[in-house]
Amino acid sequence: MIHPPIYIQVTIAGAIGGVAMLNAALLWFMPRLTRPDLYFAVTVSPGFRDEAEGKSILRGYRIELMIASGLALAAFVAGVALLGIGFVPVGFWVQVLAGFVVFYRARGRTLPYAMPPTMIREAEVQEKHNRVIPGGRIAAAGPFVLLAICATYLGIHGIETPARLSNHWIINGQPADFQSHTLLIYLLTTSGTLISLTLVLYGLARWVRPVYASGPERARELKFRRTTAAIVLVAEYYVVLQASWVLFVRSNDGLLRVITFPLAFVFVLVVLVVLARLGQGGSRLQGLKQKSSAVSATPVGDRTPDRYWKLGVFYFNPDDSAIFVEKRFGLGYSLNFGRPITWFILALTLMTPLIPVVAHLSRFLARFGA
Amino acid sequence: MLRIDLGSRVSVYEQIANGLRAELVSGKFSPGEKFPTVRALAINLGVHHNTVAEAYRQLANEGWLELRRHHGAIVRERDKPAAGPDTMERFKRPLEELIAKGLADGLTPQLLAGEMIEAARRLGGKIFP
Repeated sequence: MIHPPIYIQVTIAGAIGGVAMLNAALLWFMPRLTRPDLYFAVTVSPGFRDEAEGKSILRGYRIELMIASGLALAAFVAGVALLGIGFVPVGFWVQVLAGFVVFYRARGRTLPYAMPPTMIREAEVQEKHNRVIPGGRIAAAGPFVLLAICATYLGIHGIETPARLSNHWIINGQPADFQSHTLLIYLLTTSGTLISLTLVLYGLARWVRPVYASGPERARELKFRRTTAAIVLVAEYYVVLQASWVLFVRSNDGLLRVITFPLAFVFVLVVLVVLARLGQGGSRLQGLKQKSSAVSATPVGDRTPDRYWKLGVFYFNPDDSAIFVEKRFGLGYSLNFGRPITWFILALTLMTPLIPVVAHLSRFLARFGA
Repeated sequence: MLRIDLGSRVSVYEQIANGLRAELVSGKFSPGEKFPTVRALAINLGVHHNTVAEAYRQLANEGWLELRRHHGAIVRERDKPAAGPDTMERFKRPLEELIAKGLADGLTPQLLAGEMIEAARRLGGKIFP
């Protein structure tokens, strides 16, 4: 069995383990980062989180989260020690799954205190055009132009992806041997990722329903949405540069190839800090607490009925034209699984990483058949 | 600002049509001006786009909007129709029911009358300068 050098193993394990720890830290603070009238994805009175019951639920949640994260960390370390670096993503997903179970239990304890969300809907009819994507269409086109430049350079200089990519690992720690990593596969995978991210960017501009129709709350929401769009845009540029970087660096197992892992960790860290400072939907901006709607005196929730939230995290409402709605437990937006376009975005996002695998398999099968 | 109540007994598309008509009557939109797209309004209200499209069709039938495929809805120049003998009759019945509801809820006739005059001034600003 071929194992990658120890410094590469440490770099990858450190970066992915770091993201898992960030995830645990985020889950710790998350109940305080959501809108005050939402608690563990349940519509409650805005002051509920500061009441004794609310605090008790939070305390129980955090104790369970610590236990779950500790167990996940133990599984992570034991898995890496026994099975090698290939176990790293498994340890990460163990942590994510444990986090969800803890959230779901806290949600169950919150449900008895649920309040019906308001049935009032408001919309500004004479709405001004608000620019959501920083830099507009020119900035959004930038990653595609950059990809074309990189691809042209690679094509002219005859550079192809090396046979072995040390940023792909199979479970026993061996580098995956993708013979089919040609320029075409590079173009297909990178452009596929860019298209799905661009759809998200477009969706943030056009397919999001604001919780508030006017006033300072609306302005905060817009700031949050613009920040999220900027993050997606930066991610697009990062995808192109990372994909190109892997191709330009020729050495197979050098540290230069895995530098993208700690970079991704830093990117995730910065994104989380920026979004946490804003709070979900900009609700923490200016240190102000979110007010109830100026029109209705009752808590508004996020204007998505509770019954359409499956398990508290999946929004499924075919009667809602919005494709993106604010997450109830998390920072950012969730897809409306009741709309067909959502499944197209998901399929595109999930299928893109499979392109090199399918290309490799088809070549392997062709060779085997011959 | 358009407001609808999903818990109301009045159908959603009617509420949307009523709210938009109020905006049009008050002169907030000039003839030739673009109306929000069906999809944008549906997303903002959290309803299906067919519901908003139904409201737009109703307003188009009343002569307020011109619906152009792929170009959205345009506000039309609309001549004020002459009120027929049954126009006031059709209007009186629901108005009386509404006034009765207000009185039953404790409002005074003076308050209701003042509110009605205010609403008429606000919505028909050009008619009552």
